[in-house]
Amino acid sequence: MEMSRRTAAPVKRRHLLQDNPSVLWFMGLLGLFTLGVTVLSEGFGIGLISTNLVKILGMTLCLCLIAIAMDVVWGYCGILSLGHFAFFGLGGYAIGMWLMYARTEIVIRESLAGSTIPPTEREVSEAVASQIFSVVGSNELPLIWSFAGSLPFQLAMVVLVPGLLALVFGWLAFRSRVTGVYLSILTQAMTLALSLYLFQNDTGLRGNNGLSGLQNIPGALHVPQSVISVWFFWASAFALGAGYLLFAWVVSGKFGSVIRAIRDNEARVRFLGYNVEGYKLFVFTLTAVISGIAGALYYPQAGIINPAEIAPIASIYLAVWVAIGGRGRLYGAVIGAALVSLLSSWLTGGGAPNIDLGFYRIIWTDWWLVMLGLGFVLVTLFFPKGIGGLFDYLVRKQ
Amino acid sequence: MPRPALIATLALCLLVLWPLAPLSAQSDTPLQDVLQTVQEQVASPSRAQVGGVLDVLQEADAPGTAEFLTRWAEREVFERPEDGLFFYARDGADRTLTLIDLDTGEDVAEVTTRDVNQIRVNAGVRREIEGALVTFELLAPDRARRMAAVRTIARSPEADHIPVLESALSEEEDGAVATRMARVLDLLNARFASDSATRVAAIDALSGDITTEARRALNQILSTGSQFAPEIPEGTNVARIRTPGADLDLVDAYARLADADLVPPRPGRNAIRDALRANVSDGAVAGIPVHRLDTEEARREAYRLLQDEGIVPPLPTQAEMDAAVAQYVFFDAYLEPDADVTTAARAALDSTRTSVGIWQFVSLSLDALSLASIFFLAAIGLAITFGVMRVINMAHGEFIMMGAYTGYVVQTMIPDYTTSLIVALPMAFLVTFAAGVALERTVIRHLYTRPLETLLATFGISIALQQLAKNIFGTQARPLTAPDWLAGSIAFNDVASISTIRVAIFVMAIAFLLALLFILNRTRLGLEVRAVTQNPGMAASMGINPDRINMLTFGLGSGIAGVAGVSIGLVAQVTSEMGANYIVQSFMTVVVGGVGSVFGTLAGATLIGALQKGIEWFNPGNTLAAQTFMVLFIILFIQFRPKGIVALKGRAAGD
Amino acid sequence: MNKPRLLASAAATALLAAGPALADCTIKVGVLHSLSGSMAISETTLRDVMLMLVEQQNDAGGLLGCELEAVVVDPASDWPLFSELTRQLITVDEVDVIFGAWTSVARKAVLPVLEELNGLMFYPVQYEGQESSRNVFYTGAAPNTQAIPAVDYFLEELGVESFALLGTDYVYPRTTNAILEAYLLDAGIDPDDIFVNYTPFGHSDWSTIVSDVVEMGAGGKQVGVISTINGDANVGFYTELAAQGIDSFDLPVVAFSVGEEELSGLDTSRLVGHLAAWNYFMSADTEANDEFIAAWHEFIGDESRVTNDPMEAHYIGFNMWVNAVEEAGTTDVDAVREAMWGQEFPNLTGGMAVMNPNHHLSKPVLIGEIRADGQFDIISQTEEVAGEAWSPFLEESANLTSDWQELGCGMFDTETETCVQLTSNY
Repeated sequence: MEMSRRTAAPVKRRHLLQDNPSVLWFMGLLGLFTLGVTVLSEGFGIGLISTNLVKILGMTLCLCLIAIAMDVVWGYCGILSLGHFAFFGLGGYAIGMWLMYARTEIVIRESLAGSTIPPTEREVSEAVASQIFSVVGSNELPLIWSFAGSLPFQLAMVVLVPGLLALVFGWLAFRSRVTGVYLSILTQAMTLALSLYLFQNDTGLRGNNGLSGLQNIPGALHVPQSVISVWFFWASAFALGAGYLLFAWVVSGKFGSVIRAIRDNEARVRFLGYNVEGYKLFVFTLTAVISGIAGALYYPQAGIINPAEIAPIASIYLAVWVAIGGRGRLYGAVIGAALVSLLSSWLTGGGAPNIDLGFYRIIWTDWWLVMLGLGFVLVTLFFPKGIGGLFDYLVRKQ
Repeated sequence: MPRPALIATLALCLLVLWPLAPLSAQSDTPLQDVLQTVQEQVASPSRAQVGGVLDVLQEADAPGTAEFLTRWAEREVFERPEDGLFFYARDGADRTLTLIDLDTGEDVAEVTTRDVNQIRVNAGVRREIEGALVTFELLAPDRARRMAAVRTIARSPEADHIPVLESALSEEEDGAVATRMARVLDLLNARFASDSATRVAAIDALSGDITTEARRALNQILSTGSQFAPEIPEGTNVARIRTPGADLDLVDAYARLADADLVPPRPGRNAIRDALRANVSDGAVAGIPVHRLDTEEARREAYRLLQDEGIVPPLPTQAEMDAAVAQYVFFDAYLEPDADVTTAARAALDSTRTSVGIWQFVSLSLDALSLASIFFLAAIGLAITFGVMRVINMAHGEFIMMGAYTGYVVQTMIPDYTTSLIVALPMAFLVTFAAGVALERTVIRHLYTRPLETLLATFGISIALQQLAKNIFGTQARPLTAPDWLAGSIAFNDVASISTIRVAIFVMAIAFLLALLFILNRTRLGLEVRAVTQNPGMAASMGINPDRINMLTFGLGSGIAGVAGVSIGLVAQVTSEMGANYIVQSFMTVVVGGVGSVFGTLAGATLIGALQKGIEWFNPGNTLAAQTFMVLFIILFIQFRPKGIVALKGRAAGD
Repeated sequence: MNKPRLLASAAATALLAAGPALADCTIKVGVLHSLSGSMAISETTLRDVMLMLVEQQNDAGGLLGCELEAVVVDPASDWPLFSELTRQLITVDEVDVIFGAWTSVARKAVLPVLEELNGLMFYPVQYEGQESSRNVFYTGAAPNTQAIPAVDYFLEELGVESFALLGTDYVYPRTTNAILEAYLLDAGIDPDDIFVNYTPFGHSDWSTIVSDVVEMGAGGKQVGVISTINGDANVGFYTELAAQGIDSFDLPVVAFSVGEEELSGLDTSRLVGHLAAWNYFMSADTEANDEFIAAWHEFIGDESRVTNDPMEAHYIGFNMWVNAVEEAGTTDVDAVREAMWGQEFPNLTGGMAVMNPNHHLSKPVLIGEIRADGQFDIISQTEEVAGEAWSPFLEESANLTSDWQELGCGMFDTETETCVQLTSNY
């Protein structure tokens, strides 16, 4: 596959699927997986998979989506961003505001409907504010919640807020030619600043409490979670499929060649007359927007979002997933994210049996992170291509 | 707990001295009988009622009253619930007590702790009791007790204390105590002296004094109350006149008039709604259908219609409110009627303002310096590994943690805090030096050409080490206690002080700076380090072994992180996550300061520390905001000065 | 935060030794306390105390002739994981009751799931009130059974007129301080004499804040500190207090989140005289408490371990639940809920705790002074005070009341006489 990609670009533009045979495979597997989960689910099938597991699988798909975004920005374009979870979180906050506001508004209107005089708009919004913000000792609606009742507006925010932040931040950083590890530290500082900012109650996003009750979808308050969980699973699967297709298209062809060249030798590409900053900014912003969408699908399934979600460590884990899965291969990112996150939850959740060595009892909850950390060092040292590299090896053998 | 000798002396002296007021011989009524007249107040004392008890005791003047008061305050008095009698007690084995009669001092009975109630006098009551005892404590032979008595007066000053203190002062021989007494007398005179001239003189003596107690006394004299009246009454000591609309909210002013029943209250939004609700008939209010009342305007309109019918109290218009408010003068008046006194107090307080401001700035600067030295300590190891060697070590924070835990382990083995600290510092260096060398040999050595991957690999090390620490030491924060000589604080005055441990950390930061500069610039090792980082190939051909130098340099950086860990553990808590809290900030410190320069790191730490404290000063209620803006500032700073404050030039810059 | 743990799914199941001659049925008790992460320091003990109570109950013959089984999961101090594990406990493990959560954020994360699936939870920690869920019984203190009496003590006994409200930045301190501010203003305290400060979790740089509080003393009024500082940050705060030589006489500090467990890691000799308010102190001198402490020491195998208020809350909550199940003859949530109203159980500190129809307890309020040995001298103990779900001091909740028995509503507006909502605010 490496070979075909290297020769494809300069000769002539071939079909996307020819260029990326993995796309077909991926789409097929994703479709089968979605079908399987649906048939086995409680909401639409025979109930072999609990609602809880459907949610976990749906969330994992969202994590896969941000992982391929990370792969494009790092594995293809060489920008090791340690801040992409900030965009993920912003997407979650944007949709969470609508979920919370609209649900509370429905409840308030129902309860005020019985009163002798119809409520004024101001009374409704004050009651909503007091419900949402009483946990932070306030009862006023902050300015940024002005349009929280409008789904189209908040959906636009899911895309615009991460996109604009990435655009401004990227423009400043790339313009000053901040590269390499400096850029990594800078992106880390960005996500740190954002999480500290959101931790403050004055921000108007409920500080440390974050937004909660997001699993209750306004307008579908009486639909059981077993059904809603499958809806979101479908949405996540669709988003992952669409995202995969989009990124496969982005990284193929001439554009893909240029960004890979930037990764390998930025100065040479610049001397060839390409607008390196423009390319980088485009990739950075696009992946940020996709991350925001992934977050907007993830948090309604998780049910709660708070600033700890976007602490710097989350973004570093993202890089770890991609590195273990294999950089520079979209399916590698998917494998890494799914494998590591599912394995972590299985092992730290206490589901895995502990191993009794007689003299010492290995408790997975205690030792999993140690193993993950050391395993990660080994991957970096000896298998820089990650699990995806293994696939390449097998494919080439055939 | 009872200190027999002290109690005995105390009791003796109390018996002699109590009371001062009545000169007649003590009465014969046993103390127990007197106490039974106020049984409830003695058994469950409260600040509001203790005054009554003290009066009764003073009046009855039974023998042993003073001893009782002292022991009552020390929680050494017990009540027997069956008969409500009070006893002293002696601890026995296994939760038993021997009850002792108050009057005879004889053993009465053996009971368990559950058979009697220990009377637990609270701090407020205790202060009152101490206040009552102060009269003879001031004449106690023990100097410390006289000082304590003066402190008690300073804490809760009363007019009655003036003559007592004056007489005590006239007999005081110890210079320091006398100075202190004179000083407290000034504080008392300023507030309570009977004639205006004495007070003004005392206040003038306090002028320019920035101690908390002096300013407290002055502020108490200057306390004001808010009032209003058609015109300012004769003899009022006005502090300030408030103009409605300018420094007094009009609605508030009107509401205050309404509270005093001078004008009808102005119905708020809720009152209007409730009034409308109460007057719904046939689905309409005053002819307006209910479903239309979903805006403020419609509701107000309906209300005015109701008002016209005389059903509801009127809704005053803006003009009416203005007119009503204009008929009154709103002003703040001093509670102290004597204008001379308040003028003098105001002047005295104003005279302290500048120096208080300066000292507050000093205090803030000291805090900033202390914060900067902590940042510097956390980052200086990184300044070597990242700054000089260009190795991104995400496990640097875990080396800090490792050092702190080394300190903790040493402290559990060596109970003496001073010795353990002296042992812990080099131990922490050795442990983390070894860990650093091991990390360099096994991992980093292979990744010198791939800096981004060093970042990821060391991150793996970091999470593994953090979890290991959790497995070994648990998740609970471990204490790292400073020896007593480092536990206090250095106070310049009541405004500016800094804890000794922070000073020690500052000194340590300076020592590190000097040591590092010396190693890098004046030793063979330093020369070789610089050579290897600038041009490894050339250095190797000159006979320097780059492998060895890299190993030693990395070990040095890690070892310093370990020592920093011990010092940070002394001010903060030792947890497995403590390193993670410092890592991002440390990187930013190095980057802001300028990579590759020790002075740069110093500048970066100073800038960040000062900035954070500066922002905190503007917004003292919100510490997080300071941190947020600091990080934002750093992001912007790096955009405009990517090479940091101290930018290296030429070949040393590397790129 | 630890991303992968977000997804933890399966549960660690602790099977306990079978009691004597029990029928072949089990009643499952979910234990939802963090065993890792920043809250593990406080919550691990509560897991242990639950295991002890379940064991004791099995030794005493189980419940309804069935054996009790504790299902222990680890939400790892991660709020989303709390909500996920609650769903799992109820739907996958099918537990009959859950004992769990510590921070209010965790409780708020759990609420929507409990209400959706009609679960039953006992929440053992003092909290900020403003809530009364159909599915939760609050066995810790509400503000009026902890904070307000402590403030009264400051006002009446210590004559404090100037207040510094220092807290960690999250829902409990925010809401409690909002209530206290309103209460203090009602009590005639000048707004200028109330200083409020919030710091992040684990804050360590306390010198400026402590100096600011000391400087308040220059204003001429007695200053007192009301601390809602939570967790690790207390170490730095009390160290700084001690370093600046602050005497409890000059500047008393009353803490709502510092108990025996938190003090066990500190050198308390320099903190003698500072205060804490709780519904229980280990130093309470009663027979029931001695037995409880002895049982705890035996269970945990360590004589030096302390007991604290949330442990007593679980003790009371668990026993009330057992009695309610026996009364109802079933573990069905709705039947048990109804049997819970009016349940009585003796406190470890003396007197009776009563579960009110608003799902809050009536309990005595205790104020203790820190002693050099890390224990508290109980200097004030009130009669039982009924916990209020809604604070009358805040404008938005002044008209609200909760009564699940008579009104069938946890958020009832007494003015409009309507039930505002049946579910809770999250």
